[in-house]
Amino acid sequence: MNDEAEQSRFMQTQRLRAAVHYTVGLLCREVGEQSDVQFSRQSIAALAETTFRQGDTFAKDLEAFARHAKRTTVNAEDVKLLARRSTALHKYITRRSEELMSSNQQQQKDKRKKSAGKGKKGSAAPAEDVVAGSEDSNMG
Amino acid sequence: AAKQKEDPSLPKAYVMSVFSHFAKTKVSRDVYPVLQEILDKYFERLVDDLEAYANHAKRKTIEKQDVELLLRRQGLVPDGVPVNVLIERYLPMEYRKLLIPVATSGNKVFPKHRR
Repeated sequence: MNDEAEQSRFMQTQRLRAAVHYTVGLLCREVGEQSDVQFSRQSIAALAETTFRQGDTFAKDLEAFARHAKRTTVNAEDVKLLARRSTALHKYITRRSEELMSSNQQQQKDKRKKSAGKGKKGSAAPAEDVVAGSEDSNMG
Repeated sequence: AAKQKEDPSLPKAYVMSVFSHFAKTKVSRDVYPVLQEILDKYFERLVDDLEAYANHAKRKTIEKQDVELLLRRQGLVPDGVPVNVLIERYLPMEYRKLLIPVATSGNKVFPKHRR
């Protein structure tokens, strides 16, 4: 019973490793084409392993940050805090998160327009930054 | 004459004795300026991190839990090991008494356990 669970867990980890390895391979190929260098198989494997373990660290840190803010869900704030130490990365992540936020709001506006078109006219709902995916089907 | 306000730093004798204790060797005196610089940078970064952690929890006051998070992130406390282990290992009794709650007579716990 316990042995079986351990086995399946190990399989899961191996699958994840393989997926990371594959993606790292693709990224390395891309970089190689851009800057005319070749990556040896061992270097790709080493990069993949590094990435995998880095992911472990990131996960633990993010969990700790979320718990620190008395949340159980990891959000963008936690990710920003994780990237705080390297200035360039922090800037990049902040910019990306702003882009995501604005695109989310855009989507919601589109949704509202659609639903407003279907329902009553002139029901200008105030713009809230709520989680996307909550459908307001209480109209009509 | 008005004395120039210096940046506060740890006493030289203290820094040197702690360093030579953990290095387990004698340490020459000319190491001190380097150590002082490192310590300054360390504290600067430490305060910076603590401020960020307190802000993250939407507080303006740095609390014990912020320091605990910092110790964990610095890898000084492994997973599943309480911070109290660190306190018991490195701090003298007088400080331990201030940090780790102990039940005393009359059904009292000192220090008060705040949750």
